[in-house]
Amino acid sequence: MSRFIVRRLLSVIPTFFIIVTLSFFLIRLAPGGPFSREKKIPPEIMANIMAKYHMDEPLLNQYFRYIGDVLKFDLGPSYRYKDHSVNDLLGAAFPVSIMLGTMALGVALLLGTLVGVTSALNQNKWQDYAAMSVAVLGISVPLFVIGPVLMLVFALQLKWLPTSGWINSRAGWKTVIMPIATLMMPYFAYIARLSRGSIIEVLRSDYVRTARAKGLKERVVIAKHVLKGGMLPIVTYLGPAFSGIIIGSLAVEQIFVIPGIGKIFVQSALNRDYTVIMGEVIVYSLILIAANFVVDILYGLLDPRISYK
Amino acid sequence: MTDDVILQVKDLKAYFKLDEGLLKAVDGVSFDLRKGETLGIVGESGSGKSVTNLAIMKLIPTPPGRIAGGEVLFIGKDIFKMSDEEVRKIRGNKISMIFQDPMTCLNPFLRISTQMIETIVLHQGLDKKAAKAKAIEMLKLAGIPAPEKRIDQYPHQFSGGMRQRVMIAMALSCEPEILIADEPTTALDVTIQAQILELIKELSARLGTAVILITHSLGVVAGMCDAICVMYAGRIVERGTADEIFADPKHPYTQGLIKSVPRLDKVSSQRLYSIPGQPPNVINLPDCCPFFPRCERAMDVCKTKYPKIAEIGAKRSVACWLYGEGK
Amino acid sequence: MPLLDKKTDKAVNEFNQYVKPVSLWADAWKRLRRNKMAVLGMWIVGAYLVVTFGASVLPFHSYTEQQMLHVNLPPSLKPAGVVALGEHEKRRVDLKEAIERSGRSDLKTDLERVDAEIIQLKGDMDVNPVHKRVYILGTDYLGRDMLARTIYGGQISIMIGLIGTLTAAFIGIVLGSLGGYLGGWVDNLIGRFVDLMYSLPYMLIVIIIMSMLPTGSNSIFVLYLAIAMISWLTISRVVRGQIISLKNSEFVEAAKSMGASSNRIIFRHLLPNSLGIIIIYSTLQFPSFIMNESFLSFLGLGVSAPQASWGTLVSEGVQGMQLYPWRLLVPAVAMTVFLFAMNFLGDGLRDALDPQSKNRS
Repeated sequence: MSRFIVRRLLSVIPTFFIIVTLSFFLIRLAPGGPFSREKKIPPEIMANIMAKYHMDEPLLNQYFRYIGDVLKFDLGPSYRYKDHSVNDLLGAAFPVSIMLGTMALGVALLLGTLVGVTSALNQNKWQDYAAMSVAVLGISVPLFVIGPVLMLVFALQLKWLPTSGWINSRAGWKTVIMPIATLMMPYFAYIARLSRGSIIEVLRSDYVRTARAKGLKERVVIAKHVLKGGMLPIVTYLGPAFSGIIIGSLAVEQIFVIPGIGKIFVQSALNRDYTVIMGEVIVYSLILIAANFVVDILYGLLDPRISYK
Repeated sequence: MTDDVILQVKDLKAYFKLDEGLLKAVDGVSFDLRKGETLGIVGESGSGKSVTNLAIMKLIPTPPGRIAGGEVLFIGKDIFKMSDEEVRKIRGNKISMIFQDPMTCLNPFLRISTQMIETIVLHQGLDKKAAKAKAIEMLKLAGIPAPEKRIDQYPHQFSGGMRQRVMIAMALSCEPEILIADEPTTALDVTIQAQILELIKELSARLGTAVILITHSLGVVAGMCDAICVMYAGRIVERGTADEIFADPKHPYTQGLIKSVPRLDKVSSQRLYSIPGQPPNVINLPDCCPFFPRCERAMDVCKTKYPKIAEIGAKRSVACWLYGEGK
Repeated sequence: MPLLDKKTDKAVNEFNQYVKPVSLWADAWKRLRRNKMAVLGMWIVGAYLVVTFGASVLPFHSYTEQQMLHVNLPPSLKPAGVVALGEHEKRRVDLKEAIERSGRSDLKTDLERVDAEIIQLKGDMDVNPVHKRVYILGTDYLGRDMLARTIYGGQISIMIGLIGTLTAAFIGIVLGSLGGYLGGWVDNLIGRFVDLMYSLPYMLIVIIIMSMLPTGSNSIFVLYLAIAMISWLTISRVVRGQIISLKNSEFVEAAKSMGASSNRIIFRHLLPNSLGIIIIYSTLQFPSFIMNESFLSFLGLGVSAPQASWGTLVSEGVQGMQLYPWRLLVPAVAMTVFLFAMNFLGDGLRDALDPQSKNRS
């Protein structure tokens, strides 16, 4: 088992390096970026950047210096805000996004599996059709449509929920309802469809037939034999789902004005704050790598055929 | 019904509603099984032999299939009239089944011990420890080496033959009256096949279990079975003891099957015989003898009506116009 | 071997029952037709395609013309002049109430302005033909017709989706079949590349790329290229899987034994048999493409002005949604309905072409 973990860790490191390298060179090549010497920026920032990045050194040196900085968790100064470093800007926002993303994923997982399993066990009855129609809706309606529409109805018209802000504002926990409802929708829908399909397939499998032939009660057959194998594809999906939720949070944080890294990322992209963008990419990559890693381990634990390879 | 008949299948019908029409997978099958007897059901794929046995245990997926008629009397009680609860008490307990492909028939996510213990605990009321001990004992009987260690392993750690042994051990763990073995050796290597069949024979003799052996191979049946039913297109076309059927097959299909078995004592320059034609597509089959397109001795009446079953001996019957009325 | 019935010359089996020959495509089409939601989806998608691409010949208003007299008009069947007047009157009433409650002087100036606008409008009404227009779905903050904007937005979104899907399919098929057929180091290399791309946070990279562009440049091209760059991954894997499972089958062996070249085998035998699965994945990829593009446009990183895709329109709509909800709802509903229909169609195609779902109860 530990060999498996080590192997996964090793495969992750090159990916990370590629991402860091890619962002490093992309930034350098950007027209109008800090390193193209075309744009006019305040001299204080220019001084910061020059000092930080040692622009007079050969490119390769700059690259290694950058890697070194990254490994020390120093993401450099902001290109737009002369008093703030990237670490400053991201540090406070980071936990907010993690919380939002995890809660959304949790809800999506719980609701999705519930709906999916119910559908599969009631195949072609009304519960199935109703649930799957909602699921198609969830997949088809984009996040950035759901969010504003929810806001229109529940915040602006009915005035039940606050339009924006996060937990630390006056409205408190009510602020998380709409963002989570928006963010989790497509993933809940996909998980519902996925689990339905998977459970249906398992229900038709030979080993479930064996279980029934042994005289086990249907409830036991489902709980003991069907669920374990049926849920495995969901675990695999968690990786890309988490990735998607992070991207989705970019829009959701914009719409509901949530102080997370998503909001900062979009702003920095629009402002062309290159150092922040680079820092964001690194942070995001780390999050994704960690999430995928956890998912892999989880899968290895659940499927006995894997661990013993 | 004589005392030692434990299973009586009377006119069993199982139909499937498909897009293309009504599939009469089993259309009027009747046979008896005695205590300790080994009955072989022989037929090609699509003949309905597997469905017959699934139907006996009410394991047919009910959309799109359904039991369309007949009775299955197990020790006098009709299974089709029993409640789900009562049927479940029989499954795995009084009547056990093993299936064709041991690779897919065991749950890959659960240990063997879990899968075996749950049956024993359910039907025999033992606690987990006692059940595990019993399971280990069964594995030993089934020829699994070091069963105390292997019982805690997962199915993928066993080879195909070993897995089938596990299946057999699991099926016999509650010492059922009847073991239904649905093509138990088809998915296995030829060398293992003989071993498994030998195992089934030995264990069933030791435990006094009756066996229904389903297969498409007459070779398998020859060594093992007391009585044989030959199935074609959802019906039994000939029935009798093994000796009778091999010595004097009556139905043209049976004759064809026997002729097709390659024999070591025949001259090797002769071409291998195979019954001409293909098994029929049984969807929307008209009323006729389904074998007539391939039958060398087909008569006009064969094309228009299904043959009346002719009883030619004590336990012998044929469904063919050549015998009984049509003659 | 089916025989022929002497009287009707139709194929008949040995029991004298008519046998209908069923090819894969005919079978799939039959199944698709039976799926009512998929058929509905097909009609809706068809309607969208006709309207968006026939827009230049159909009688819609211009989508670029800014009409400052008709700013933020709600949807209505009445002529624009009447609607504008109504809006002004409503604003007048609101202002008067607000003035009575708070007495603010700046509101008084606003009221004077509205009054002046009303007078001008009333005078203009019968003279200026513009006021006779009907804006069925209202106008936006620059007085542009919402219906026209949504239709043209659809053009952009659908075009990007279509071209992107085709590009992704093309790249995916080429790389997938190369890897699958040739195997060995080619397959390994491509496979590693695919794995790498899969693990990258591609959306982030796309966002970076889009943010790198100097403002005002032709972003559509880069946009769809960027999205296409990652969309081919799934198709290549799927095609590779198909090719691998097919290349060892008997009909390929037969072709090889007759001396067919690799090219011929790939193009005449393997790919046509993979067509079903390619269609399925492409149909599912199409809406996802549109979603990605509109997501970027919503964030402001996609299509840039003056062109607008559905994403841009929704983004603009959000800004005014409290007072002018139709500006959000019109493009939102248009887009949702299209994606909904595409998804049903995609699902239907998948069920129709996937033989495993046959006789699924």
